[in-house]
Amino acid sequence: MEQAIEKWPGKIYELIIGATKETGGTRSKVVKIGGSNTLPFLFFEGENPNPPAIAMEVWDIEPTDWPDVLKNEYGSVLNDPTQWAKKCETLGADLICFRLKSAEPDGKNASSTEVAKTVKDVLSATSLPMLIIGCGNNEKDSSIIMDVSQAAKGENCLLGMATKENYKTFTAAAQSGGHSLIAETPLDINLEKQLNILITDMGFGSDRLVIHPSTGGLGYGFEYCYTIIERTRLAALSGDKMMSQPIITFVGQETWKTKECRADESEKPEWGPLKQRGILWELTTAAGYIQAGADVIVMNHPAVVKEVKNYIQKLIK
Amino acid sequence: MSCKIKFLPHNKEVSVSPGTDLLSASTMAGVQIYNSCGGDGICGRCKVKILKGEVTTDSAILSEKEKKDGFVLACRTICKVDIDVFVPEESRVEKAQILTMGEIYTPAERAAPPVEVFEEKIFEYSPLSAKLYLEVPRPSIENAVADLERIFREIRKSKTASPVMQMGLANIKKLPSLLRTSDFKITVTLGNRNETTEVVLVEPGNTADKNFGVAVDIGTTTVVSYLVDLKAQKVVSAKAMYNPQVSFGEDVITRIIYAGDSSGLDRIHHVIVDAVNDLIVSHVISDKISLNDINCVTAAGNTTMIHLLLKVDPTHIRRSPYVPAANAFPVIRAAEAGIKINPRGLLATIPNVACYVGGDITAGVLASGMSNFSHLALFIDLGTNGEVVLGNKDFLACCSTSAGPCFEGGGIKHGIRAQAGAIEKFRINPELDSGSELRIETIGNEKPIGICGAGIISIVAELFTNGIIDKSGDFIKGSSKHLKKTEEGYEFFITDNISVTQADIKNLIHSKGAIFSGIEVLTKKIGIDIHQLSKVIIAGGLGNALDIEKSIVIGLFPEIPTEKFSFIGNGSITGCKMCLLSQSAMRRANEIAQKMTYIDLSADPEFMNNYTASLFLPHTNLELFPSVKKQLKMKNVDYYS
Repeated sequence: MEQAIEKWPGKIYELIIGATKETGGTRSKVVKIGGSNTLPFLFFEGENPNPPAIAMEVWDIEPTDWPDVLKNEYGSVLNDPTQWAKKCETLGADLICFRLKSAEPDGKNASSTEVAKTVKDVLSATSLPMLIIGCGNNEKDSSIIMDVSQAAKGENCLLGMATKENYKTFTAAAQSGGHSLIAETPLDINLEKQLNILITDMGFGSDRLVIHPSTGGLGYGFEYCYTIIERTRLAALSGDKMMSQPIITFVGQETWKTKECRADESEKPEWGPLKQRGILWELTTAAGYIQAGADVIVMNHPAVVKEVKNYIQKLIK
Repeated sequence: MSCKIKFLPHNKEVSVSPGTDLLSASTMAGVQIYNSCGGDGICGRCKVKILKGEVTTDSAILSEKEKKDGFVLACRTICKVDIDVFVPEESRVEKAQILTMGEIYTPAERAAPPVEVFEEKIFEYSPLSAKLYLEVPRPSIENAVADLERIFREIRKSKTASPVMQMGLANIKKLPSLLRTSDFKITVTLGNRNETTEVVLVEPGNTADKNFGVAVDIGTTTVVSYLVDLKAQKVVSAKAMYNPQVSFGEDVITRIIYAGDSSGLDRIHHVIVDAVNDLIVSHVISDKISLNDINCVTAAGNTTMIHLLLKVDPTHIRRSPYVPAANAFPVIRAAEAGIKINPRGLLATIPNVACYVGGDITAGVLASGMSNFSHLALFIDLGTNGEVVLGNKDFLACCSTSAGPCFEGGGIKHGIRAQAGAIEKFRINPELDSGSELRIETIGNEKPIGICGAGIISIVAELFTNGIIDKSGDFIKGSSKHLKKTEEGYEFFITDNISVTQADIKNLIHSKGAIFSGIEVLTKKIGIDIHQLSKVIIAGGLGNALDIEKSIVIGLFPEIPTEKFSFIGNGSITGCKMCLLSQSAMRRANEIAQKMTYIDLSADPEFMNNYTASLFLPHTNLELFPSVKKQLKMKNVDYYS
């Protein structure tokens, strides 16, 4: 039987995260993402040179709203970001996703000098390439990102989140520190593309961007997220350079806030043991996004990280 | 010879030809007398008292006592000599009645003059109301034809075809004395009510030179009127005002809801009728003619506006399955709708297509000439509802998008209609010294008072190509010294006190996005590529200086060669004017309305996707605008300085 092979004119940009000694940084390795010229895992049709990378979250402040099932996995390292990062490294993470939650104006409201210092500390504690994500408040993130970028200068990190509101400061910061950027928009292919255009209009390389389409977890609009990622990918493969960036999804963040991962067993006995629920939820969500075409998966639970790594190995074999 | 008529207690005097009826004389004198039957002698509301002088009257419906006391019906009474007339209180139209609603009006002002459209003479001259001066042969024993048939015979002599003719009983009753007091020299006004020619009015003497019509475009946001000299076949003056119905709601849906009960319908109807009357009066005053010389009105508007004008319940327009009371209303007496022109004058409305595509689009398509084209054309009306029509002489398809009032100066901080003093062109010339690098042009070269639709397009395009706003329309801080932070955020100052705000720019982007995505979806649905279009006709009351190139720069129109574009200004009112001047134009309007297929965008899943993609300058898919892309590449904006 004849095989119908699709030949796409486009290709996803290949992005390198991290810099080793040779390239002016201090990382022990770099992580490459993207580079595909076909849909995920269709090896008979084209190339998928880089498997999806797994980033594990590390916060600069102890997460108070994480459920115990998750907290217990980390124990005392949760209030020490350097130890936490080291632990993730041993757990098999490809990347560290460092969140600057302490900067939240309604919380600790840490200054840019304070957060820049922890960034440096974590960079010395781990040798993995890093993602550095702000606290989520546009105004505050704009005010700290320049110092953060300088603190990590030369390490070729992935900075986030550049949004339509703050992209000018973020782009300038990433440019000056030699980092790449995560462009975050609401879940809409046009909005994704618009932000990419705005950022590249500032002279920033279109090959130094990662798309975050604001996805949801399993059961929370997952199917729609899946199709948007797929449409983004199809646009890229059809030759749209402003959609040809790798895609990141924050699977852990979307999983552990759902009621399915939090509701007590006495409340929902029919849902089964709480301890397994979150794990299964995070695993299923991650598997789904990997199939959709995500290039970086940001995760939380160590057991799931292990399982997903196995899953990826099976897919690329 | 003429007679003087003095109206009391107003103490106003007017000279008229003998044979003129008192109701007509009163409008000439500027005295308002009630009448609700249009001079048919039925309603009895125009009762007046003759104080001095002799008249011929037929006031049958008055009581014997009233007749004995000297009361007559103004509409049924003609003068032969000088007389004094007393208008009793119950017959006066009291100012107070108008004033109760009066405070919400914006006064009429001079509108931008009509765009000179190449008007191929496709439609023959045959005005809705024609005046004919007749010197009727006196009857004799040998020629004893009755008065009515005698007049009909004279009218037929002047016509090539022999029309079906009729004259109302009310007019026939006047004939015997009118003919004889005027020495058989009369002027007849012929109106066309659908397919019948009606002698609408018989006047003594020769008034054939004074034959005017008014074309009215009733937009959701703006009402525009032209006074048209039906004899000279030209527009005498143009006036405009905001639609005062705005106080009942910005959009048609709110107004339909408001008109849901009969008192609401009554109020919202009166407001628009009063506005039309105000416009007509302002024409009459500025062009020094009499209300009596206006013999017909044509009106176009969206389906809801026409329902409200005619006081027809619009409720079902907004309810599934969306059915209006009528698409094509018959020609009626203007007085029936409350429009004050010659009491026997006619009102014709341009037929609507569907609930959400009105006669304004029919009129615009008529004016665009596309219903004659053998090649494909696109018609775009930039109103509150942006309508897009695709087709030619064989087919017409249209869709309607919600563009918002931006093209008419609404929703813009310093936005105004296209009127004298409106900024309609803007240019930044960075080579010039600071202070003089901003160039503006206003309508009539008058002192700038605000920005019209064409102006806001021009401004946003210039801000964009000069790197003062980014592709999402956001101001780039520090990009210009005219960009200042105020209490409302950043504003770009065009002059010391006229500025453009961030919200203004976003409004325009939403409006242009609605139009562009409408064009995209409609052409895709019909299955044609925009490059197959041989003509794009733009209509809208947004100022005559609409710059096509700049409209393309912001992504309002697709990028096709500018020579394919033409701008016809307010197409709706141009179409109305054509229907005033030619009955075959009116017939064509009916054909257009019947032929047009309406495509509902709200039922189209592609539309929302296209819409979001078009909320960007010029578009998220820059490949659709190759020359704009090139132009932008040449300008290197330095963001990091």
